[in-house]
Amino acid sequence: MSAVLSADGAPEGAQQHSEGVWHAAWRRFKADRVGLLSLLVVLAFFLLVLLSGLNLVAQNWQREVGVPNAPPTLLGPAPPQASGVIETPSGPNVDLSAIDPLAPRYKEWDERAKKFQTLETVKSQTLPFGGDRLGRDVLQKAVKGTEISVFVGVAAATVATLIGVVLGAFSGFFGGKVGDLLEWVYNVFESIPNILLIFAFAAVVGRGVESVVIILALTGWTSMYRQVRAEFIKHASREYVRSAEAIGASTMSRMFKHILPNVSHVVLVRMSLLTVGFIKAEVILSYLGLGVRVDQVSWGTMLAEAQSELILGHWWQLAAATLFMAVFVTAFSLMADALRDALDPKLRGLE
Amino acid sequence: MRCETLWTRNCVGWNKTMLLSIQDLKVAFRMGKVGGEILRAQAVKGVSFDIPENTTIALVGESGSGKSVTAMSLLNLLPDNAERTGKVLWQGKDLLQCALPELQALRGREIACVFQDPMSSLNPVFNVGQQLCEPLMKHLGLSASAAIKRAEELLGEVGIPEPKRRLTSYPHEMSGGQQQRVMIAMALTCAPKLLIADEPTTALDVTIQRQILELLGKLKTSHRMSVLFISHDLGLVGEIADRVVVMRHGIVREQGAVAGIFENPQDDYTKALLACRPSLEGNPARLMVIDDHIAGRALQAQTRTKDDSAPVVLEVRALAKSFWLRQGLFGKREFKAVQNVNFKLKKGHTLGVVGESGSGKTTMGLTLLRLHEPTGGEVIFDGQNLLKLSDRERQVMRRRIQIVFQNPYASLNPRFTIGQTLLEPMVIHGIGKDTAEREQRARSLLEKVGLDGRAFGKYPHEFSGGQRQRVAIARCLTLNPEVLVLDEAVSALDVSVQAQVLNLLKDLQDEFGLSYVFISHDLAVVRFISDEVLVMKDGVVVEQASAAQILAAPKEDYTKRLLAAIPRGYHAAV
Amino acid sequence: MAAYLIRRLWQMIPTLMGVVLLVFFLFKAFGGDPAEVLGGLNASKEQIDAIRQQLGLNEPVWYQLWLFVKQIVTFDWGKSWATNEAVSNLFATRLPATLTVMIPLLVLEVTLALPIAMWVAYRRGSLTDRALTVVTTVALSISFLVYVIVGQYVFGFQLGWFPVQGWSDSLWTNLTTYVPLPVFLALLVGLAPQTRLYRSFFLDELGQDYVRTARAKGMVEGVVLFRHVLRNALIPILTNIGLLLPGIFVGSFLIEVFFSIPGIGREVLLAVNRSDFPVIQAVTIYLAVLTMLINLVVDLAYKVVDPRVVLK
Repeated sequence: MSAVLSADGAPEGAQQHSEGVWHAAWRRFKADRVGLLSLLVVLAFFLLVLLSGLNLVAQNWQREVGVPNAPPTLLGPAPPQASGVIETPSGPNVDLSAIDPLAPRYKEWDERAKKFQTLETVKSQTLPFGGDRLGRDVLQKAVKGTEISVFVGVAAATVATLIGVVLGAFSGFFGGKVGDLLEWVYNVFESIPNILLIFAFAAVVGRGVESVVIILALTGWTSMYRQVRAEFIKHASREYVRSAEAIGASTMSRMFKHILPNVSHVVLVRMSLLTVGFIKAEVILSYLGLGVRVDQVSWGTMLAEAQSELILGHWWQLAAATLFMAVFVTAFSLMADALRDALDPKLRGLE
Repeated sequence: MRCETLWTRNCVGWNKTMLLSIQDLKVAFRMGKVGGEILRAQAVKGVSFDIPENTTIALVGESGSGKSVTAMSLLNLLPDNAERTGKVLWQGKDLLQCALPELQALRGREIACVFQDPMSSLNPVFNVGQQLCEPLMKHLGLSASAAIKRAEELLGEVGIPEPKRRLTSYPHEMSGGQQQRVMIAMALTCAPKLLIADEPTTALDVTIQRQILELLGKLKTSHRMSVLFISHDLGLVGEIADRVVVMRHGIVREQGAVAGIFENPQDDYTKALLACRPSLEGNPARLMVIDDHIAGRALQAQTRTKDDSAPVVLEVRALAKSFWLRQGLFGKREFKAVQNVNFKLKKGHTLGVVGESGSGKTTMGLTLLRLHEPTGGEVIFDGQNLLKLSDRERQVMRRRIQIVFQNPYASLNPRFTIGQTLLEPMVIHGIGKDTAEREQRARSLLEKVGLDGRAFGKYPHEFSGGQRQRVAIARCLTLNPEVLVLDEAVSALDVSVQAQVLNLLKDLQDEFGLSYVFISHDLAVVRFISDEVLVMKDGVVVEQASAAQILAAPKEDYTKRLLAAIPRGYHAAV
Repeated sequence: MAAYLIRRLWQMIPTLMGVVLLVFFLFKAFGGDPAEVLGGLNASKEQIDAIRQQLGLNEPVWYQLWLFVKQIVTFDWGKSWATNEAVSNLFATRLPATLTVMIPLLVLEVTLALPIAMWVAYRRGSLTDRALTVVTTVALSISFLVYVIVGQYVFGFQLGWFPVQGWSDSLWTNLTTYVPLPVFLALLVGLAPQTRLYRSFFLDELGQDYVRTARAKGMVEGVVLFRHVLRNALIPILTNIGLLLPGIFVGSFLIEVFFSIPGIGREVLLAVNRSDFPVIQAVTIYLAVLTMLINLVVDLAYKVVDPRVVLK
């Protein structure tokens, strides 16, 4: 019995303990400083989203706590508007009690009024990131907007991924009539330019966060479908799947126990691309008034307001929305890049 | 026609002009940074040899020996992350210190290359004429019309029929052999003094390989070129080389005149390499394995004669498989991949199926297991026609006839541990009472195929090709099959590893009474392991006889051609 | 070739039918009652019923589908619900404006991205790669809206180099006065990702075996890149252009809205806001047909660019 193993020459640097694909990827990811930093930023944002969603922060974003267009704290309060001064009349008021029909009741109302206390909310002159035209705190709006925009992006990406993976798996694995039918569905959706499709859906579905998620997911699944289908076609003829068939594994088993884990890294990278795309799409939709409802805030609605404010010289809402969005999307994109490089070191240029 | 007569041997005296002198060449690849330090993989660890003029030097080694890297580093055709040290003297000038423009003037003009895979080495969007004219116009300064004429002549010289018409053909319109001829023509455009041929025939069929070797021999003599011929096949090298350099793991193990290397090898590795090839002469019961040879272990000969009266376990009658290809507007065309295959396989015996690419042998093997649905014929296994079984019955039958595929890097699921791969078939067919029993069975099978039980929890990427094939064999064994189809199961392995796996297969056959259908393009390997041989060409069985008979007295022309095409190694010129 | 064309046109039919079905049922199921939309808020019940009769809404579904198909084939969509303008007229008047902006944009984007990407691929090194990646990522993370808002403010409002909005009837005036600012801003956003994409095409080709052969023949790097690699990279570039082409007909609705350019994109947006269904339906269907035809033309173009392609 030939028992010698070492002659086969195990590859250099064989691990002492066994390392699956995800462990190896995590190890490589940790070594990438930029990727790690981006991951931390993204997690911080997710935490913010969670807190905002639980109404622990920014729940009072709709309250008008500042004077309209209050500047940021750093800049100091706006100079008082030199509005036309109306001369207050001198001299006592003219006595109209003879002709005034309400005159007998004034005394009664005065008595009643004394029982109530009016709280004069002092409107701040400045807010941390400034105020919008109604005096709402821009910082709180930005945080709430983060919650909405990020939630929409991630939720839509998840739904689109589910649709794309299931349809792509069946289409790529079976081919034939099933594949043809699914390709037909795909072609129908692909023939219509994306924006038009979104508009068509938006026209009928209406506004609101749920609507936006549905619209984006139903129009955005095609790229995931395409990629998953290509991967399944590639893997379905691979020998490890043939071997599984030879030992008697069922179709579902071959598709989802064998092939899917080998495709999951592709799916993950594509899903992160989808998330970024959907966030940007939601911003545009909300800007155009087709996205979130009037009583909700997103980065898009903030930008819509900012446009008219800019002409008046009030730039802080634009800056806040842009800042939050830029930081999150940049961090997410860099993290996705690092993830892709960690999962497939061949893609990374060798230093 | 034997190659040796065309590759006229040169007396390698030391009074020849030295073309290329490689002195202590080291090549390392930068693999990225780990903890701030640059990680390097050393591919070549100090190689020295000389190439005189008008001589054929063969650089031999298995995969990972560094032979290709050595050859590519001469002209700096390596990727950007390669670092070279040492000296490479071309007629006195050190190529490693040369500036790029000097090197570019040398490439294609004084030193030319032919690569392994002609399909990917030729530019797919330019036609043959354009690609040939490029070096003609750049190095020799020919005008466009003069270059085209010269290109046509070159195509004729390399044996391409209708060269004028072929000038406007694209690479994908030609066969592998013709593409390689074009590559050779491209290399010869400026009459180089040295031709570097990196495994030029490995990707070709055996009969085409023979033609290309003859062509190279003829051209080498007429152009008085030196050839640096890289190969893993010692048999090939023995026929064509003047001097041989044997490499392993990045260093030179032995070098010398070809006669000396073959008749009187000094180094243990060279001896082992020579010994563990299955050859067409002699019929050992088992092959030598490199490490056994090096350690001086004697060959355990247990010749077991095969029992001719064993029962027939698998009978195939008129098996046929066709594929339908689209043609015209709405029509279909039939492509007959397998036609009318008949054989009887006895228990404990091996049927070898030989053929070149396109012969249909693999399709036939897959059809036996119904991985392809056959278009006609019968496969009788234990009284039942396999092709007529219902799905449930087929599932049961799957246990009894199994398959091992060619590519060890693709036949195991990369995301499953070895243990999961072995347990899966047992779970599907309900073998073993519980997980513990199955695990035990899996581990014992691992040891039976010569792997450590610890492999259970590891992933495929931690193992070499030969080890993965053993796992694939173990996976089949979990189901206690009676028939094993081996589809080019050792073709992708190095010679020494191939020997180990072949020995293992023989041992398992002896122990378990397995019957094999062994599919391969390598007649020498088939001869070693088979009792009966089937020769296939273009889907049809050309000849069918016992192994001894096929080799001693082949009846058909094609079989004779196949036999003649196999490289025999070195024989002293008479 | 003819057989291929016929087969492709034949294959377009099911897809077209699918698009028609999708649009029809989408609007039927979710669109609300068209009669009420047309009638307006103050319509009485009789008026709404009359409109329903007119639109054929009381007929069975398959009959309505048939009417729908008839409309498509005869290019007669009736009038826009909002402006009462013939929908077919809409295309004729709005399309030129969209194309005046989009064609220069597409041409500039491709012709600029190509040489930049080649230069970056030529000078490839970890520093340039990393720098390009980071710059592109940050630039892309800022919404296009911001660029336009700020761009309009700075270039139009503050500096006054370009008019903030507007359009004219003369093609020349449009190209020189009204088009530059929007095209410039769109280029700013679109060029970086386009360059990155083309760069990846070039790098993919640089890793192929035939590049090694070209070098082994003694060709200088410039020839390798500009002759061998570029010619091969044209194949994925053609694919990319093929994907971008349908988009120029829809136009960038954002640009059109911001700069008040009377193009198709803006019309569709207005239609969405006003629930003007005929406009949306017509634009969707015709653009789907256009996309399919463009795909066919691109596939034919492959034959020129890639000799390996066999049109069956």
